Amino acid sequence: MEISEWDLIQKCQKGDVTAYEELAAKYYRRVFMVVLGMLHHQEDAMEVAQETFYRAFKNINRFKGGSSFYTWLYRIAVNLAIDFQRRQKRGVMDFKENMDEVIVETERLGSDPYREVRDRELGERLLAAIDQLTPDHKAVIVMRAVEGLSYKEIGRTLGCSEGTVMSRLHYARKKLQEKLGSYL
Amino acid sequence: MTRDCEEIKSLLGAWLDGELGASEAAEVRLHLQGCASCLGEKARLEKLQSSLKSVLEAKASQLAFEPFWAGVRQRIAEERPWHARLIDWARAVLSPPRLAWAIPAVIIILLAGLSLEQFFPGWRWALNRSNLAAVESIDGHGFNVALLRESKTKTTVIWLFENHEGEEETSAEPVSGGPAF
Ligand SMILES: [Zn+2]
Repeated sequence: MEISEWDLIQKCQKGDVTAYEELAAKYYRRVFMVVLGMLHHQEDAMEVAQETFYRAFKNINRFKGGSSFYTWLYRIAVNLAIDFQRRQKRGVMDFKENMDEVIVETERLGSDPYREVRDRELGERLLAAIDQLTPDHKAVIVMRAVEGLSYKEIGRTLGCSEGTVMSRLHYARKKLQEKLGSYL
Repeated sequence: MTRDCEEIKSLLGAWLDGELGASEAAEVRLHLQGCASCLGEKARLEKLQSSLKSVLEAKASQLAFEPFWAGVRQRIAEERPWHARLIDWARAVLSPPRLAWAIPAVIIILLAGLSLEQFFPGWRWALNRSNLAAVESIDGHGFNVALLRESKTKTTVIWLFENHEGEEETSAEPVSGGPAF
């Protein structure tokens, strides 16, 4: 870990919120990416990402520097996002509404010939497809894509074996390929 | 023994992730040199991964720090230990003179009511044996007193609580298993 980061953490451990603001500024986007990949809804992702930083500050004295600070943060984020989904269990209506948004979005973008726009369309479809996976499958696919984590590290975060991570990833990718079809 | 395309395709993800053993990885590599179908599958898997990363990056890049941090800071500011909140509450309640006697009075009345049962066994709460449940607001700061009396077991529960409308309880620790530190 960088010395300056460790300095900031030690200040946070003494209750320095300004030092924590610096750490948050450095990592908030990465944490948001992971959470958004798992929750799809922007407001939900914002809520859980903010809660992640709040919990991390509250428990900062438990951080001993055994892993990187960011590793510690995303473990909190992933577990909060899984928990959030289990507690919330969105209704069917909500899901439909969501698909409509995606379809409207893709129709709007469909006439645009540029590759960037096609990629954006794929991105939106991909997020909608991920939203249909179980929380555990979402977690593995997002951690692998966003953080490029090893199966061992993913397993540590989720409390499961490397073999389980491998089979969940395989299943999740297969499902996403089925749903995205010709878009890939 | 050479594997067929289906087997190779099932290994491709782990191969791209660098999670296969040396011999299996070599097998996949060799197969890909001569199989257009599996190469296509490899390209799709790569695209899946890169698309997800780039769409999330694009969305995260639109998120400004200020509003994000404001939400975090507010949560931190709201977080106060229970004893500090109790002191805050006592100060707030006791400061208006008209309420200064309200709490001891409520407590004395409650205790008196409860002890009547012990000293006069024939006396019945509210003249019958039915249960009692009541919520009394005792101040203007959202704190309530709830009273539940179960006549058969002669159990009385009194508790103080804050009135948070629509606010979710955040004290429960949802980090299942907990992050490794
Ligand atoms: Zn093949």
